[in-house]
Amino acid sequence: MKKKPFLIIFLLATIILGACQPKQSTPSEKQTLVVWDQFYRDEESKVIDQLNAEFEAKHPGVSIQREVKVLEDLSLTVKLALANEDGPDVAQVNQGRVDMGALVKDGLLLSLDDYAKQYKWNERFPGTLLARNSFSEDGKQFGTGHIYGVSPTAEVVGVYYNKSIFAQHGWAVPTSFDEFLDLLAKIYEVGIVPISFGSLDGWNAIHLFSAIQHLHVSREYIDDFVYSRNDVSFDTEFNLKALYQFYDWVKLDYFTPNFQGIGYDASNESFKKGEAALTITGSWLAPELLTGTDQTFGFFLLPGYEEQQALAIGGLGIPFSIRATTEKKDLAAEYIDWMVSERAAELWADAGMVPAMPLPKKYKLQNDTLFADTVEAWQHINANNLVGHYIDWATPTMYDRLVFWLQRLLSFVSTPEEFIIGISQEYEDWKPYQQ
Amino acid sequence: MQNKAKRYPGESKWKGLLYLLPALLLYLIFTFLPILETIRSSFFQAESLYGARSFVWFQNYIKLFQDSQFLSALRNNFVFIFFYSFLPISFGLFLASFLARVRVPGMRLFRTLYFIPQVLSMVVVGVMWRWMYDPNIGPINVFLRWLGLEQFAQAWLGSFTFALPAVGMAAAWVQYGFCMVLFLSGIQRIPEELYEATSLDGANAFRQFWHVTLPGLIPELSVALMTTIIAALRVFDLVFAMTKGAPGGSTEVTGLLIYRWAFELNNHSYAATMATVLTLIILLISLVIRRVFKQSEKGAL
Amino acid sequence: MKPTFRKLIPHYLLLCLVLFFVLLPLWGMLSKAFENPDPGSFGALANFKRAWTVGKFGLFFKNSLIVALIVTAISVLLSILSGYAFGKLSVSGKSLLFPLILLGYMVPFDAAIIPLYNWMRSLGLTDTLWALILPQIGLSVSFGTLWMSSYFESLPDELVDQATIDGCSRWQVLWKVLMPIARPASSTLIVLIFMWTWNEFLLALVMIQKESLRTLPVGLAFFQGRYSANIPLMAAGAIIVALPTLLLYIFFQKQFLQGLSSGAIKG
Repeated sequence: MKKKPFLIIFLLATIILGACQPKQSTPSEKQTLVVWDQFYRDEESKVIDQLNAEFEAKHPGVSIQREVKVLEDLSLTVKLALANEDGPDVAQVNQGRVDMGALVKDGLLLSLDDYAKQYKWNERFPGTLLARNSFSEDGKQFGTGHIYGVSPTAEVVGVYYNKSIFAQHGWAVPTSFDEFLDLLAKIYEVGIVPISFGSLDGWNAIHLFSAIQHLHVSREYIDDFVYSRNDVSFDTEFNLKALYQFYDWVKLDYFTPNFQGIGYDASNESFKKGEAALTITGSWLAPELLTGTDQTFGFFLLPGYEEQQALAIGGLGIPFSIRATTEKKDLAAEYIDWMVSERAAELWADAGMVPAMPLPKKYKLQNDTLFADTVEAWQHINANNLVGHYIDWATPTMYDRLVFWLQRLLSFVSTPEEFIIGISQEYEDWKPYQQ
Repeated sequence: MQNKAKRYPGESKWKGLLYLLPALLLYLIFTFLPILETIRSSFFQAESLYGARSFVWFQNYIKLFQDSQFLSALRNNFVFIFFYSFLPISFGLFLASFLARVRVPGMRLFRTLYFIPQVLSMVVVGVMWRWMYDPNIGPINVFLRWLGLEQFAQAWLGSFTFALPAVGMAAAWVQYGFCMVLFLSGIQRIPEELYEATSLDGANAFRQFWHVTLPGLIPELSVALMTTIIAALRVFDLVFAMTKGAPGGSTEVTGLLIYRWAFELNNHSYAATMATVLTLIILLISLVIRRVFKQSEKGAL
Repeated sequence: MKPTFRKLIPHYLLLCLVLFFVLLPLWGMLSKAFENPDPGSFGALANFKRAWTVGKFGLFFKNSLIVALIVTAISVLLSILSGYAFGKLSVSGKSLLFPLILLGYMVPFDAAIIPLYNWMRSLGLTDTLWALILPQIGLSVSFGTLWMSSYFESLPDELVDQATIDGCSRWQVLWKVLMPIARPASSTLIVLIFMWTWNEFLLALVMIQKESLRTLPVGLAFFQGRYSANIPLMAAGAIIVALPTLLLYIFFQKQFLQGLSSGAIKG
């Protein structure tokens, strides 16, 4: 490629203007590790602060410069920041094509294979889960190749229920999908909003649809779909069935009134106040539900049809990655190892968040708590190979398109059939790029 | 504009250029050159962000005009012209002509207050109107419920029917202050005799508006149209702060798509193609407005 | 003839009705911002205090102020010089240069943002305030030049001639003769450029990734992502962003509105 002639003029001009020289990092014994994470909610944030402080105490001369961002904020800025010479040394990078895949393709992330061996990360996490943080070196093959990130937390999407409301009406946790449907009808009958939901932000609508979808799909199908393998299609009988189920709930008025104009946080806020009996989202919400409310909550996996064991959306939380051009690789890796240590697991557990690494043996799980529910759900799907996927990882534009079609579906602008055609088209159009 | 300025005897012919140079250089480097590079890169395609790129002729343009997402975003931009331009201008004209020939004490205060939305950041406007439209606590729905019109209270920004007009109304709220200030000061320029002459002819208010006020305001109209239409086509921050294109792309605009393709999906050349097309459309519309109004200005005098 | 007050009642009714719609959202925000989430803690300013420290609006404020002041100072100075060149000096190639600069006033920033980002990044300037200041000056001088040149052009040539006969150089003519007269036009320009820079969004969104270097509008946009459910806090943040331009406008409003309407027509 010819050097851009304009760039040279631009460069000269900027130097002549004396605008400024790129900053030079002054060498000194003191090391600063810049870390970007997205644990912004109060309870999560305290865990990271605590871990950072302990890390600093163990490494005199090292200071951690933490920057906390909301996931959306992080996704928008981290891609650009990792290309900067003074970008973050360690940052949380979402899995999937649009985030981690694009960064690997542009050579901006460090392969963590050597560190994974050194710190025995593969013993702490099952291989199928580490595969989710893996790409081939050119960023084209997903779910295989080098490891580019390690996650501190685990995630499982399921149903939160308001125990206070359940006790008052004598409802029980359903054990099959049909029971679940009966439960929804019962809740609706007594005039309570069955499922607290808001689709304004879009992404949680993907989780809701996909949670139903996961009851129908096979292990192989969902792996192949997300990793773009074996030429699978979105246009299947069970995807349509799942869409119709979701569509029915909208028609039956099972969601928060005017949910199309309500954001994710506002919907959770209202669930927390006891304005709905259920909400369907990930285990990351649990710490939020422990404080600032007089209601008590529980969690269960969306129950499957009786004939088969149901998968559930889940996996490892957003992983920590290392910037390819950092000069503090070893320190960064040591930091990440600390973030997935036994101590970290303990602190996460205390905060009510399911850690990705095994809980310390001495840790006593208190029965009948929200945390116990989410941990059990996670252990169940992890032990039985039922950990599903976030389907928006599948292509770079899949997230955008799923939100687009779901919002249309939820407002009766498009039918489930049109949804299937739209997403299939998106998926087929993407396939050639992958070769 | 003609160049009447003259050089003094013995003065270098470069002197004028010397005064111009610092501004010109900065402009060329930081605005003009990048625009040229945008146009150039729209003819290329790259594997990855920092990798080699190859010349692909008009391939990006061919793809662009088959891209339904882009076409619907562009359509939304044109819908926004109604809210950014047509609505504020016609309302401003109505108000200005209503107040035209009466000396209303305190008018200055009103004028000052009306202009306020124009000085706010569009993000502030977005935050404010998001609250106005909130389905539960927003004043609009609260007011409707108070009137007993519960059935009309709804999720304005989540609705396929109302999201685009709702964002548009926020834009109109911002723009019409500017139009009104322009028209009010323009109307003071129209000689009183013209109105008196038409009054003697027995013309009614409408005819007066049509034959005196409107022709007299042509320069202001041209400026108002140009500024507001350009604003409608380049809208970005308001939509970013209010809906980010949701629901289901119904408030998607070209500016947002350019940003997405460039900085979220890392396809710089495709984004550059969109930016080039948008720029050409804006230039074309500006030229047409300039030409049309130059002619009608001559005709009016 | 002075109209009686009674005749003016419909006019006032209409004016007040419009005023109601203009001020309703503003008033709503203001009253929300002073809503006390936790009575007895900080008092009426609790939300502002929280936005300023927890929301880092204090930091964003500083960044916005640095950028806006530098951009305004340099752009206005350079625009006066270049406007003078176009308006009162002979510039070779003017017929070519003038439309070239006009272009910068009309095209959207989207048209320049991608190369600007790439070049700034290769110079290591992304994530510094220079990445906001330099392009913003480049864009502002295009409008400033048009603005000042149309003003200088409207001043009679005799002013310049007389001063030259009295022995003033070109430089002295500008600063001693023309600028005192051009004060309204230049102060309008100052207000306009300051406001645009203060409210600029896209450039600041793309060029700055570190939270500590964000400007207020981008800070507010992301603040909204985090505290969308906390309306009083959002309102306080919005008011912090809006207040400086609002005060500037109210302070200069007389000159500003006059200058704006006459300047817009000439341009």
